[in-house]
Amino acid sequence: MTGMHSIIAGLVGPWILAAGLVTAEPAAAPAGAAAQPEYAPVVGVSREDKEKAAMLEEAVAHKVARDYEHIVWAYGVLWGLFALYGVYLWRRGARLRADVDELRKAIDARGKA
Amino acid sequence: MRALPYALFIAAAAIFPMAPVRVFLETPNERTMGTAFKIFFFHVPMAWIFMLLAVVCGVAAGIELRRRSRRAAAVARASAEVSFLCGAGVLLTGPIWGNATWGEPWTGDARQMTTALLWLVVASYLLVRQYGGPSSRRLAAGLAIFGAVDVPIIYYAVKIWKTLHPTTDVVTTLPPSMRAALWPALCALLLVSLGLVIVRTRQVALEADLDEAWVELDRQAQGVTA
Repeated sequence: MTGMHSIIAGLVGPWILAAGLVTAEPAAAPAGAAAQPEYAPVVGVSREDKEKAAMLEEAVAHKVARDYEHIVWAYGVLWGLFALYGVYLWRRGARLRADVDELRKAIDARGKA
Repeated sequence: MRALPYALFIAAAAIFPMAPVRVFLETPNERTMGTAFKIFFFHVPMAWIFMLLAVVCGVAAGIELRRRSRRAAAVARASAEVSFLCGAGVLLTGPIWGNATWGEPWTGDARQMTTALLWLVVASYLLVRQYGGPSSRRLAAGLAIFGAVDVPIIYYAVKIWKTLHPTTDVVTTLPPSMRAALWPALCALLLVSLGLVIVRTRQVALEADLDEAWVELDRQAQGVTA
């Protein structure tokens, strides 16, 4: 039985393979149209490089925005401190003026007495 | 002379708008630090004013010790207060800058530590003056002089020890496009600081005069009743 099988396979096999090769070939391009390959090699910048560049640009933009935030904070903190001290001095000055007025009144009262 | 602090504040207000315009809009970013470098334009002037006023405080405290001058005592206290304020500004803006460029706010390098030490000395001077009573004046003056001695150590810390801070000639080697933004920021902050020192000096002197006047009035009242 095995001898019979190998004879049949020997006779039919090459024909089946040949038929498969013929049908696996791409269909012929229509006459007149230029051949357009479906997969083309990279010319210039690849898609991966473009995506990496876009990601880097985004990261840089984020960093610049954060840095500006830092600068504005630093600048605000400085002038905020000066403003607070200015308010403290102004309140202290008002208290001193009130104290001077009180002293004047006390001196006047003593003079009258 | 009475209008001097107001003249200083008006001059500072005139210069002040130039600083942010130049810093934010006209100065180019630094090559390695990028945008965060622009904190330099107010961190450095603040540090200079902090150290200048600490020296003024030390010198005035020395004069107070030697001549028992009340005016010098008022100058020492006023300059210490504004110096403390500027020091707080330096110690807040520095870590913000460090966090943006070095990745951590405090590396504990020599310049940071000596600056923090000066700020603590100024703070202790103010606390001793405020709560130490009349007998603590000499101790307070000693602290102020110690603070003034720390200033050259801060300046030369970058030469003596290895630090992340730039060298002492960073300002002299600045390109003109960057240096143009430093002067308006320095002038505005310096004028405001000097104006505040003058206002506070007068207040401290007036407080001392008022205390004396009240004591004298009480003494006279006791004399009259006796």
